[in-house]
Amino acid sequence: MAAVIGGIGISHTPSMGAEYDRGIASPDGFSPRWQPWYDGTRRVEELLERLAPDHLVVIYNDHLNHFDLDNYPTLAIGVGARFRQADEGWGPRDLPDLEGDTRWGLHLTEELIGREFDLTVSQDLTLDHGVFSWLPYVFHRGGDGAGNGNETGGWPVTVTPIAVNMVRQPLPTASRLRSLGRAIRASVEAFTGDDRVVVIATGGMSHQISGARFGMANEDLDRYFLENLPGHLDELVAVPVREYMRLGGTEAAELTLWFTMRAALSQQASAVYSFQTFPAITGCGALVMAEPGALPGTDQGSEAGS
Amino acid sequence: MRAGQAGEAPESAAAAALPPPSLDLDEPGTIEFTAERALAGRALNRFALSLRSPASRAEFLADEPGYLRRFGLSDEEARLVGERDWTGLLRAGGHLQAMLKLAATVGEDLWSIGACNAGCDRDVLIAATPRRVSGVPAPGSPAGGA
Repeated sequence: MAAVIGGIGISHTPSMGAEYDRGIASPDGFSPRWQPWYDGTRRVEELLERLAPDHLVVIYNDHLNHFDLDNYPTLAIGVGARFRQADEGWGPRDLPDLEGDTRWGLHLTEELIGREFDLTVSQDLTLDHGVFSWLPYVFHRGGDGAGNGNETGGWPVTVTPIAVNMVRQPLPTASRLRSLGRAIRASVEAFTGDDRVVVIATGGMSHQISGARFGMANEDLDRYFLENLPGHLDELVAVPVREYMRLGGTEAAELTLWFTMRAALSQQASAVYSFQTFPAITGCGALVMAEPGALPGTDQGSEAGS
Repeated sequence: MRAGQAGEAPESAAAAALPPPSLDLDEPGTIEFTAERALAGRALNRFALSLRSPASRAEFLADEPGYLRRFGLSDEEARLVGERDWTGLLRAGGHLQAMLKLAATVGEDLWSIGACNAGCDRDVLIAATPRRVSGVPAPGSPAGGA
């Protein structure tokens, strides 16, 4: 049977993507505000390479780039061979599309709906910075990454994206997103084959990008969350979402997506690495968790909570 | 790794020019996109989300008033768009992520919206961020017993 071998929580923001393109292209490298994010994600990239997943389930939120308010799904799953980049108003970045795996897309849809998660099925889902902004920081592309060389320049792993409504009230509850994680784990284990699956949740950390509180930054909250998520999921789920929004900004509600990732792992899974920084207007953090034995030779837990 | 130490002094100086963010969800600190606003903002958001293609952006820039009429904006909504009154647009039911498409189309960005919302110059806002606050869920809350 297939298995969930690890999970990652990671932030996203449009500027994270733009700063990657600029930082990689510039002889001067990354800007001082973004260098710590680039440095901190080197270890995430290395751990993902060692986890060597065959497939990713990515829990993210769309920012009115694919969906619109005439029909806004609470939960939607992308099923297809290819996921293109959405045009967010500035035109797409120079990045390859992400590949899907329809065996996984169809399987997860059937299993999750069988477990009473009534997902909207999107057959031509385009993905925005919710996925593409952190992606190049943590995944090596084939060849030189620009389509040159012997390989295609594509991403090294296929994905099934699951979009969660963070736009239109009411949002799904924190408890429901925890249940979704458990259902994802059971669904992965029902897949025939020995695929290794990593569940990635992206959103948060503290930030608010409108109103007079624009740019608020609560690094204490971000560190609190990173430290407590691995071992205290139920306690974090019990905190009202509006409390995260009050303390960390309205967009801190996206932290509830990380509950799905944690709940998709076993109780025995442990934190391998975490870090956070605050480049400008979005709290940027990452947490890598692994199931026992998924990372041979790693003293799991030794780098957590940094 | 703890970043954000570099440039601490200029940040603090700039932060002084803006009041600290309040730890509540009231206006004007927060302009929530409520379900009521989502209903009220249907035309505004349909218009703004139409700008997700280069052809539409070019059409809009070539004839703003005509383009807005096609999407059925009221005179008041058209005025808010014309004046790039980002705070007024959010209050009228425009979602931030939709208004961002308009900002991108007219050569502005998130900082323009933020500066309008915070009532300061764009440069002041950029220099003031991150605008640091502190606080975690209270010891009395369920997470406090963790």
